[in-house]
Amino acid sequence: MRVEVSRRRFLQNTVALSVVGGSALSLGALAAESAHAGSLPETTTTKTGTGSAEIIPTLCGMCVNKCAAFARVEEGVLTKLDPNPYFPKSRNMLCPRGNSGIQTLYDPDRLKYPLIRIGERGDGRYKRVTWEEAYDAILNGTDKFKGLAQILDEEKDNRATIGYSNGEGLSKEGFEVLVGQKIGTPNYVDEISICLETTLGGYVNTIGTYGEADMNNADYIIVAGANRAEAIITPDTMDMFKRTKKRGLTMIVLDPRFTNTAAKADRWYAVNPGTDLAFVLALTYVAFDEGLYDKEFCQKYMVGYAEYKAHILSKKYTPEWAAKLTGISAKEIYRTAREFMKARSPIYYQGRRSAFSPNDFQLRRAMAIYQGLSGNLDKKGGIIYGKKIKLPPEEVNAPMYAQAQTRFDRKGIAIPADKTGSWILFRNMILEGTAPYPVRVMLMRKHNPMSGVPDTTKTEQLLRKMDLNVMIDILPSDTAMFCDVILPEASYLERTSPVASFGGLEPAIVQRKAAVKPLYECKTPEVIYKELAEKLSEPLWKNTLKYDEDVQDDTKGMKPDALKKYYKENGFDLADAWEKTVEESNKERVVKAFGEEAWKILEEKGVYYPHMEAYHKQLDPNTYEYYPEDKKNYHVKGDKIKVVANFTNLTKKGVDAMPTWHDDMAFHVPKGKFRLITGRHAQFTQSGTTNNAMLRDLTPTNYVWINSRVAAERGIKFGDLVEVRSRIGAIRLQAYPTESIAPNQTFLLHGFGGNSRGMEMAYGNGGNDARIIEDHIEPVYGAAAMHLTDVEIRRV
Amino acid sequence: MARYGMALDYKNCINCKACEVACKEENGVLLGADKHRIWVGANAPSGEWPHLDIVSSTFMPSQCQHCEDAPCEEVCPTHATYYDENHVVRVNSDKCILCSYCMNACPYDARYVDDRTVTVDKCTFCSDTRLARGETTTACQNTCPTKVRTFGDLDDPESEISILLKTRDHFSLKSHLGTHPKLYYLT
Amino acid sequence: METKKFMGFLPVNAISIKDLFAFEKSFVNLLAIAVTVVFLVMFVVGVGNYLLHGHHVFNVTREHPWGLLIATYVFFVVSSTGLCIVGSLGDVFKFEALNYQLFSKRAIFGSIVTILAGFAVIAFEIGHPVRMMIYNVVSPGLTSAIWWMGTLYGLYLTFMIIEFIFLLRHEMRRAQVFGFIGLAVGLAAHSNLGSVFGFLNARPISNGVYYPTYFILTAFITGIFIAFIMMGFRYKLDFPPEIKKMLTGLAKIQGFLLGAFLFFAGWKMLTDVYGGMPGRADVAVHIFHSWTFWAEIVLAILIPGLVILLGQAKSHVLMFYASLIGMVGVFFMRYNLVHDTQLKPLQMMKTTRYQLPPQWVEYVPSTTEILISLGGLGLAFVMYYIGTRLFDLDESVTEEAPER
Repeated sequence: MRVEVSRRRFLQNTVALSVVGGSALSLGALAAESAHAGSLPETTTTKTGTGSAEIIPTLCGMCVNKCAAFARVEEGVLTKLDPNPYFPKSRNMLCPRGNSGIQTLYDPDRLKYPLIRIGERGDGRYKRVTWEEAYDAILNGTDKFKGLAQILDEEKDNRATIGYSNGEGLSKEGFEVLVGQKIGTPNYVDEISICLETTLGGYVNTIGTYGEADMNNADYIIVAGANRAEAIITPDTMDMFKRTKKRGLTMIVLDPRFTNTAAKADRWYAVNPGTDLAFVLALTYVAFDEGLYDKEFCQKYMVGYAEYKAHILSKKYTPEWAAKLTGISAKEIYRTAREFMKARSPIYYQGRRSAFSPNDFQLRRAMAIYQGLSGNLDKKGGIIYGKKIKLPPEEVNAPMYAQAQTRFDRKGIAIPADKTGSWILFRNMILEGTAPYPVRVMLMRKHNPMSGVPDTTKTEQLLRKMDLNVMIDILPSDTAMFCDVILPEASYLERTSPVASFGGLEPAIVQRKAAVKPLYECKTPEVIYKELAEKLSEPLWKNTLKYDEDVQDDTKGMKPDALKKYYKENGFDLADAWEKTVEESNKERVVKAFGEEAWKILEEKGVYYPHMEAYHKQLDPNTYEYYPEDKKNYHVKGDKIKVVANFTNLTKKGVDAMPTWHDDMAFHVPKGKFRLITGRHAQFTQSGTTNNAMLRDLTPTNYVWINSRVAAERGIKFGDLVEVRSRIGAIRLQAYPTESIAPNQTFLLHGFGGNSRGMEMAYGNGGNDARIIEDHIEPVYGAAAMHLTDVEIRRV
Repeated sequence: MARYGMALDYKNCINCKACEVACKEENGVLLGADKHRIWVGANAPSGEWPHLDIVSSTFMPSQCQHCEDAPCEEVCPTHATYYDENHVVRVNSDKCILCSYCMNACPYDARYVDDRTVTVDKCTFCSDTRLARGETTTACQNTCPTKVRTFGDLDDPESEISILLKTRDHFSLKSHLGTHPKLYYLT
Repeated sequence: METKKFMGFLPVNAISIKDLFAFEKSFVNLLAIAVTVVFLVMFVVGVGNYLLHGHHVFNVTREHPWGLLIATYVFFVVSSTGLCIVGSLGDVFKFEALNYQLFSKRAIFGSIVTILAGFAVIAFEIGHPVRMMIYNVVSPGLTSAIWWMGTLYGLYLTFMIIEFIFLLRHEMRRAQVFGFIGLAVGLAAHSNLGSVFGFLNARPISNGVYYPTYFILTAFITGIFIAFIMMGFRYKLDFPPEIKKMLTGLAKIQGFLLGAFLFFAGWKMLTDVYGGMPGRADVAVHIFHSWTFWAEIVLAILIPGLVILLGQAKSHVLMFYASLIGMVGVFFMRYNLVHDTQLKPLQMMKTTRYQLPPQWVEYVPSTTEILISLGGLGLAFVMYYIGTRLFDLDESVTEEAPER
């Protein structure tokens, strides 16, 4: 640590102000061949001043949650991010990552200029080019790689030869419009299938919504596999921990690890990974067996209530049965089941995370049904449905491509997600050669599958197999290092984003405004989409004319003017989706829906909801009221509420209609091995934050957790370098002996172990879990099942 | 002139360290893990898995306690450490000779060396940033997700902090040392 | 040797720079010179490194803000006070029967040299020494033990220099007066140095009366160790009878002092451990298990004590060697004082998840700290050597010099 501190010690506030603010371009360049190693990290903190400052509403982009903030800008330099008290979702808070957004904005390792690969893939050798040259390289290629024009020509305009992926964010939709709707490929993969797809699917298919847990009014909550103290989600995190510790909210935590959330629990059950389903089934058994549930509610609203009751009782999902599987004693399961059903407002917290085990969809179904049994749905203190403020939709004139084939990543899964696909299936089928046509291009934005998708080796093989890889991002990620063209994007603090609506108990719309102008030569995503669309539009249209029989039929004998008209009217003009700037479009939509006054409020405060001026009140220095109690959307469904216990249609797809335990779901680890589990931390999001100087002070690297007694047996001490090896790979990182994990399990933080030399702080720091997590999928959506990998650990 | 103090509803704390980052960004505190004005302390749970002692795992936000009888102020040979008009314990970096006596005398480990001025630095309750601009909260209070902190004037009987201290049980850190901290931990 | 008057009032030997290098090329002398030169080079390198890179080159941390330089400073000022006390025996208190004045002038000069070396070392530990001199006067912190310690040591140095000048001028009455004042101020300064630690209510291991009083006792012990060393070098271990008589006397006092110190240290440790005060008892147990504690006890007390006891205070040559060992022990004593005070973290919780819970504050001096500390020793050696050449340090004056 000492070295780094001393390296930064000369960077006083004033220096930082003049360097960063004045001529931003003077910061060390990542023009890859320039020796990056010699340049120093120039990120530092800047004391806020007492003079004049611009206060600009923004929306945090450090993770997926979206907290509203105000950026303080002094003489062109962003000096502070403060929470925005007007947004009901984030209620005047900003977490450590939100606060450290400044360090991401001013990260000296930022991508600064468009780059074109001049070396081999992965070797990090790039040439700085102009935007025009970069767009041209995407279209026409260079001597190192082929361009889109040639590839689409060779593939006879089969647009599906382009795969694309995008990380979560407000500009994600625009990228989907560009590549999916305008360029016209169905082959989109994103974070959903390595994230909460099964959670959403399970809940939506059971109670019709994922819902929002009313933490302010619940009095009993089971939090299983959700670590709200470390994986912060608003408003849940803010609300629940004000009432735990015998202050109104009894909290039962199930987690294989003792997390910061467990530290706040009334009871913590160290459940065996992948066995939560047995726990929920046993709770359900007790409820049915002892008649503790809300019978009236179930009779009225539960579809297949009788069958489900019979199913649970006949399968004998007793606490005694579940105890053996889960590691939680029968006595505790009885106790929890009875307490839950007796509570006034109990919630089995939905959680939201990756599908850890193959039964995750059924687990979510069982949880939702169990919540239904309590009757605590669509009411104060329960899981509520809420409302969303509607914004006028943006129409896209999407062209039709006859040659574009359909997506293929559905082998062996029951309910393929047409839009978002399955990352692992998509990748593996291409690698195995089972894809029905060649996929030759990956267009990527703000997405780092080298770190995010299990089995990095295969991801690397995929990227190497492509003829063209393009990345739009703010940092030279591991994935970017396998791309042929890299386009530098403005970070979230440098761009105005499409206005967004957040529904729930207290709905609102928010707008992120650019706090500072894009640094270096970065451009906002929407400008990049537009310019790229302009570049590609006519050449690709010509390709369509050449191969697309439908278009040929339609345009046979057309004169140039008519052809031009056809091109425009049928959406082949790719750039027409960006005729208006984001700012113009935001204003138009908001004014259309809510009037000029609403726009003014949104521009100034970053947040708007009807009657905001009247409703919004500060109650004390720490508390705000957003809606009066009687205006909150506690109860919106009325008699339309439905809990689907017996989902008979699932049987046709080969999925159990009712949550059922199968013996192969049991938890078992071979002797001497450890089950690898993954998770989050309050100071890091994913690989994107590991180069943040501020956050690295808080969590310098990731360690691998080993039960301290096992570590002692093996002579492993704190900080010892160990190798963690699975069937598919090995990583090295430091050991953290702790009693917070079971003797046969291990854990490491996700996102570390970067391999891109362009990210000085992330490079070689810790271990990348994606290198060792095996690429299992769950059978419903093909989502990654991340907790099935057993590893060996040895000292090196 | 106020007498500023802070009440901490520390059981709300989830050890996310948003306060520490907000403090650093607001006040231009140097990067570096041991360069912090405020921090969150945590105890690992005692016991053996799975029989861990939940209550032994606590999170305690801490910082300069702004003692009424501050040992750091007493031991400063040049009055570089002083009480400002709002009873906030401050350091005048022009007078600080970096003898480090205050760092040794502070029972709370609240002081560290700022490498730019090569003088001792510590929490100011945002006196020269937020309060100087007329704001009424500190950066740490404002950003806290679970709203652990309440900052305010102890002499104002109507202030939120005065009301909290009148109505909630609380304790101070190392109160046996007689330093009379103005940070109050609510129970 | 020929003498002359410096600036018209100070009798000095008329020597040239060349004379400084004219010494007997014996092995011991060459070794001493080599060591001194190495130390001086270390000082230059250490200070250079500090000036180039600032405070970072020290291993002091937030948890351990005082390091080796503070310990070295304490070492030097304790030596100074000790020499002042021993010198005062003959010069101020006129214990003529034991011929202490044979040593007085040398001792007083030694006390000046050592405190100057101490100041030279602390100047690099204090972040802003010039600022210190200004604000010590402009904005005095009267509740600060460091302020009193620093100010009194400043006065003490002044009185010591005046006393030394009078000694050189054979104005024994005035020398006695200033010697007495100097001693009083020195004792005050020195016990204040103890109180710098004794006032720390954050540090139960140091808090209380022990350090202020122990400092005076250990200063006396240190002074006698140095007396043996100085006289050993002066007479090349071939002591004339009157010196032997004096050394026997000093050894007897030393024996008594070491015994007393053993009581001090023993009861401090026993009350610390068995007093059971949290923050004190646990620290004391930890100290008990540290090798530096035993280095202090064995080197500074047991070995010299045994030599005195077994030699019945008459084995002067052995006492010379025991004193050298004793000074090493005294160094550990100072290091322990500074380090042990800071052993217990003031903040016992983990501030990041991936760390071991704070246990004991670790400290290992950096190279630069070691360079500057040993360099301080080199400075002391050189100043002392020049002094022995420049001034007549051992004439035994028993008569009042004539007033002018």
